[in-house]
Amino acid sequence: MTAGLAGVDLADPDLYATGDPHAVWRGLRARDPVHWQPPTGDRPGFWSVTRYTDVDRVLSDHATFTSERGTLLNLLGRPDPAAGRQLAATDPPRHDRMRAPLQQALSPRAVQRCVPHVAAAVDRVLDPVRQAAGGVVDLVPVLRLLPLAAAGPLLGLPTADWPRLATLAAMCAAEDDAEVQLPGGVEATLARGHRELFAYFADLVRQRSRTPGDDLISVLVRMRCDGGPLQPGAVVANCYSLLLGAAVTLPCVPAATVAHLGATGRWRGFADQPDLLDDAVEEALRYASPAMHFMRQVRSPARLGGTDLNEGDAVVAWLAAANRDPAVFVDPDRFVPTRRPNRHLVFGSGRHYCIGANLARLTLRLLFGALAREFADLEPAGPVVRVRSTFLAGIKRLPVTPRRHR
Amino acid sequence: MSTPREKLELSTAYQPPGDDLQQRLAGLWSQKLGVAPIGLHDDFFELGGDSLLAADLQLAIDRMLGVEIPTWTLFLTPTVAELAATVAEALAGAQPDQPATDQVAGGHW
Repeated sequence: MTAGLAGVDLADPDLYATGDPHAVWRGLRARDPVHWQPPTGDRPGFWSVTRYTDVDRVLSDHATFTSERGTLLNLLGRPDPAAGRQLAATDPPRHDRMRAPLQQALSPRAVQRCVPHVAAAVDRVLDPVRQAAGGVVDLVPVLRLLPLAAAGPLLGLPTADWPRLATLAAMCAAEDDAEVQLPGGVEATLARGHRELFAYFADLVRQRSRTPGDDLISVLVRMRCDGGPLQPGAVVANCYSLLLGAAVTLPCVPAATVAHLGATGRWRGFADQPDLLDDAVEEALRYASPAMHFMRQVRSPARLGGTDLNEGDAVVAWLAAANRDPAVFVDPDRFVPTRRPNRHLVFGSGRHYCIGANLARLTLRLLFGALAREFADLEPAGPVVRVRSTFLAGIKRLPVTPRRHR
Repeated sequence: MSTPREKLELSTAYQPPGDDLQQRLAGLWSQKLGVAPIGLHDDFFELGGDSLLAADLQLAIDRMLGVEIPTWTLFLTPTVAELAATVAEALAGAQPDQPATDQVAGGHW
């Protein structure tokens, strides 16, 4: 790494679309592990941590690092209206009280009951890939429906709404994606996607409050926390968060894996080893690291990795960098399907650990299992285009030529 | 304490609410947003509203007027004028022997 780190702009989405963020993080990890990026224009300065131990600490030490003043870099400098009302933007102890009933509904045992419907969903989702055998198919729109099919029944979302919800989620996360962007540009696309999803869930929440079911939205509606029910805004904000958490991040994992294994000609080897599926899924998660960062704010003066932080400082924990830390992962830039141990931070760490992790793992196991069983190869058939985002390590175009096993 | 409307940067000129329904809705917005006065064509989000507040406001409208309007009205056409028009339409279509308040009273909020 010879490039100067002084001028690097970690808040520039172009770095992640067309640059080499892993090279930048590698340099920071080695030479400036607690890196200060000065303020520019209306955006305050912020710290960036790239070492595994520091990222782990920032994510799990909620007493020092609060989640209630914005958790994403693009919100830096603005108050978070969801603070104290949405799980991801609420600190313990309130966070834990809000989380408990949801966590129960997403426990390993509860998720195990989803196997039949997720397997059926995977089977359905892969239809266009089968039909394209020998030809060319873009895997991105195919994979976009997968999270809805997996989480939709748990949330009690009507099947007919899944495609629209997938599009709205994409509008909220892949803001410059040409297929979903509105004529008004990035801001208009975000506002429209966001508002339409909130409106959708507000109607659904109203309906569930009248006729509760056993779905996650009903769990939120019924929940009593700190002496009362959640306000409608809080319920809706959590619905939004659950949907986005699944819909936006999950497809990145198979997309990154297929793109990488295709480019290196290693899909065949991957597909031939069904016994390694559990380990391979963990490695796919580590390698893809869809949520590249989460942000926290320093609650009271603290020392982190030898650097003094002041109250109110923003700290961005780069999960995607931690997951390639050579101090923890041997040969970190290699995709090693047999990697063990593999204590990656893809789902975060501590109390805010991804609530959908069990469902995500199940869905990925079923998807990778089906892909490996059915396709001897998913050959690259054109340039892979990455999403322009400081948060999401996404892929927006992934043309492949699927080859069936003989 | 309410923020005076003129302190905000809005894209619309002030036009006072007209009929009773518009006035009641503007009053409700004022209460929730902490801004006064609210103009007929002011944008809810420009006034400082956010999606969470919109969902809360939704319930307040249900309760105050005893009628349920589709939520997208508030999110996608976010002015008192447009909201009042939708509410008036819903009130005209509501069944007189089944006040909508009963429907929400059974809910959890």
